Amino acid sequence: MTWDKMMRIFAPAVAGIGFLILWQFQAFHYLLGIEIYQLPVPTSIAEAIADNLDVMLIYSGVTLAEAISGILIGSGIGFFIAIIATIFPKWGAGGLLVLSALNAVPIIALAPIMNVWFGSGIAGKSAVVTIATMAAMAFNSYRGLNDLAPFSLDLMKSYGVSRWKIFFKLRLPNSVPYLMTAFKINVTAGMMGAIISEFFYSSKGLGYLISNSVKVAKMSQGWAGICFAALIGILLYTLITIFEKFALKWHSSQQAIS
Amino acid sequence: MKKTRILIVFLGLGLLWESIAWYLNLNKESEVSTKLPYLHSVLNSIFQERQLLWQESFATLLNAGTGFVLGAFVGIFIAVIMSYSKLAERVTFPYLILAQMIPVLGLAPIIFGIVRNGDVARIIVSGYITFFPVSVNMLSGLNSVEKEKKDLIFTYAANKFELYRKLLLPAALPGLFSGLKIAAPLSVTAAILVEIMGANSGIGILILRSLYYGSSQAANFWANVMASAWLGILSYILIISIERLFSRWTKIA
Repeated sequence: MTWDKMMRIFAPAVAGIGFLILWQFQAFHYLLGIEIYQLPVPTSIAEAIADNLDVMLIYSGVTLAEAISGILIGSGIGFFIAIIATIFPKWGAGGLLVLSALNAVPIIALAPIMNVWFGSGIAGKSAVVTIATMAAMAFNSYRGLNDLAPFSLDLMKSYGVSRWKIFFKLRLPNSVPYLMTAFKINVTAGMMGAIISEFFYSSKGLGYLISNSVKVAKMSQGWAGICFAALIGILLYTLITIFEKFALKWHSSQQAIS
Repeated sequence: MKKTRILIVFLGLGLLWESIAWYLNLNKESEVSTKLPYLHSVLNSIFQERQLLWQESFATLLNAGTGFVLGAFVGIFIAVIMSYSKLAERVTFPYLILAQMIPVLGLAPIIFGIVRNGDVARIIVSGYITFFPVSVNMLSGLNSVEKEKKDLIFTYAANKFELYRKLLLPAALPGLFSGLKIAAPLSVTAAILVEIMGANSGIGILILRSLYYGSSQAANFWANVMASAWLGILSYILIISIERLFSRWTKIA
């Protein structure tokens, strides 16, 4: 292992551990003038995780179910919209622009509406995630279906290939890398949507755990919830990356230059 | 031509809304009107409450904007330091990437719990949600400059300061703006989130208040939600216009 590679791993690791040690010995409390009941130290957060592990696993499952179902439905709808926009290019641009407006809508404003429409259970949160993930998928897959290699469409047409075949042999394979990008954006957006909508109207899930712990002044439990949410986020992202490597073996972006 | 099509899409959606609301109201009476009040009664409510909506939207936008500007400056500053020092990049970059994978807005209740002040909490949460995308995109902009260009500017005996001012910072502008575009609606979301958790002004307060009164205030509630959605879109439009202004200016220079 070269010096450079070692630095790549050790420098952030040392910084991270140093940060935790400073936190543990209350350096930040001293600097920012806050008390230990406001910001719990890492060991008491670890204790809170160990004490409530069973509840936290159940809550994580709830949040994960909301996020994943929402991501799948939202991405499905987004992809469908992209296909429609590709088939009808004249109207597609306008439709996608309307969708882009949806992308800028604060998720938090959707939570109360989805609560009224789909109830305060998993369905309501899943609906928030659906809307939060739709636009990113629609945009990226539209680009994937339409940003084709130069002249490839002309070549296909000169062979007299039908529109169906162009779609399946050219557009669809071309869109796969873009789909992966959209999924990467959506796993983070989906977890965020699920947790934010759990802050209100819920009795389960990591978002509920976080906001409720703060209300009853059990800060270390709230931080434990954050830790789990972060772990799930990293896990989902890593899964997508691994899947991407696997699904895109044929694609030039994944092939090592030898 | 494109503009008329977009207008038609919007009009079609409005018509769809009205007819669904009409259908819902046809079958049942009270409860359902909460699910989807008529578009015209929502618009009417917006018109009647325009003063209040304007005032509270302004409070939200001001707080979100303050946090956004602070977060953006810190993000730019950190990105410049990371491009300047390899060690700083090695230490910080993995954490910036990790931050993109985790739901950072989950920290909002905890920060509100620490600060216990609606205004400060709004600014902090909007600020840190802005920081991550801005610093990552700014850094990739700074790193995108080819080595040949750097070599060239050094042959002109430029110092480090001039290297940044004349080459790296202008070259990083597209990256910076793509970060700002991601961050702007997020900072509005963050501000509204803190407001619903308990600040004393802003559009989030209006949403919360109209929810208390139930179905009689349905149109009012929808008016507030539409206003907050509009705030998110407005923040995005603002950044795009500033970007246009800047890119015109850099092209002339």
